[in-house]
Amino acid sequence: MISLEQSFEDNILTTKVDWLLNWARLSSIWPMTFGLACCAIEMMAVGMAHHDIDRFGAGAFRASPRQADLMIVAGTVNFKMAERIKRLYDQMPAPKYVMAMGACATGGGPYYKYGYTVVKGVDRVIPVDVYIAGCPPRPEALLEGLMKLQEKIARSSVIRKPARTA
Amino acid sequence: MDFQGIHDRLRAIGAPGLVGADEPRQGDPKDKKDKGRAGDPFVLVDPQRLTDFLRVCRDDERLCFEMLVDLTATDPAKDQAHLWVNVQLLSLRHRQRLAIKCLLEKAAPRLPTTVPVYRASQWHERECAEMFGITFEGHPDPRNVLLPADWVGHPLRKDYQYPKEYHGISCE
Repeated sequence: MISLEQSFEDNILTTKVDWLLNWARLSSIWPMTFGLACCAIEMMAVGMAHHDIDRFGAGAFRASPRQADLMIVAGTVNFKMAERIKRLYDQMPAPKYVMAMGACATGGGPYYKYGYTVVKGVDRVIPVDVYIAGCPPRPEALLEGLMKLQEKIARSSVIRKPARTA
Repeated sequence: MDFQGIHDRLRAIGAPGLVGADEPRQGDPKDKKDKGRAGDPFVLVDPQRLTDFLRVCRDDERLCFEMLVDLTATDPAKDQAHLWVNVQLLSLRHRQRLAIKCLLEKAAPRLPTTVPVYRASQWHERECAEMFGITFEGHPDPRNVLLPADWVGHPLRKDYQYPKEYHGISCE
């Protein structure tokens, strides 16, 4: 009887399904082109050559939620926009991730008290995976947030349901 | 023309609705409560005749205010009975500006629309309407310009009550 191991030697790499899927997911997080306020300027800077988010496989900003894995809520969310954000989130295919970038998206920011139309945190509308502090956050902070998200994806499993992905 | 010249011209041609004028002044150093008034000189106009007044400002060849720079409103204080409607005009030909102010009753703030004279005032009036609850009678498109269509209240009024929730999203 021919040994199975010997017949495929040097041609097959054995790994876990989880590791493979997570590696594929975290290496190609395609964000949605979606900026709401000044944080979006920093997000654009992250996409440019100096900071270059493409190093982490997240540089393909998609113009459609149906092609995107990650929604970076970059800016102030008001009530008029919140319903659109919810709808865009619903249109994204699972697994999908949300980053709340900056003080406004995290908790209302400077508009917390007197901003009558500002949603006090985008997590009141959609579930958030990573919060990034700053007003606006430095591009490095956004990259840090992306790496935190990659760590989170690396922990997920196809068998156990991921904790915060709807 | 300076402000005095514009005011004299307005009186000379009998501009409709012209009530008065006010200029900034220094405070009285002896009276500590008198802080004077900063800002631009303005003419005070009867709001019901504002449209006619603006038409005269636009068409008179010595004034010739071709451009409406701004139309906005102010809620000066909670205990005051009036809202202000402020209009800024600019004459490119004569390089002069004019500030106009109208007093409106807070209880029922209504005035005729100025769109027939300056079409630029369309969005300005819509914004005033949603932010201060001022009704511009005869406005061609009286929708909200910034707020959602079903928004309750007028946010820039001093007595505005903040919403508790909007479409199921808590505001607390």
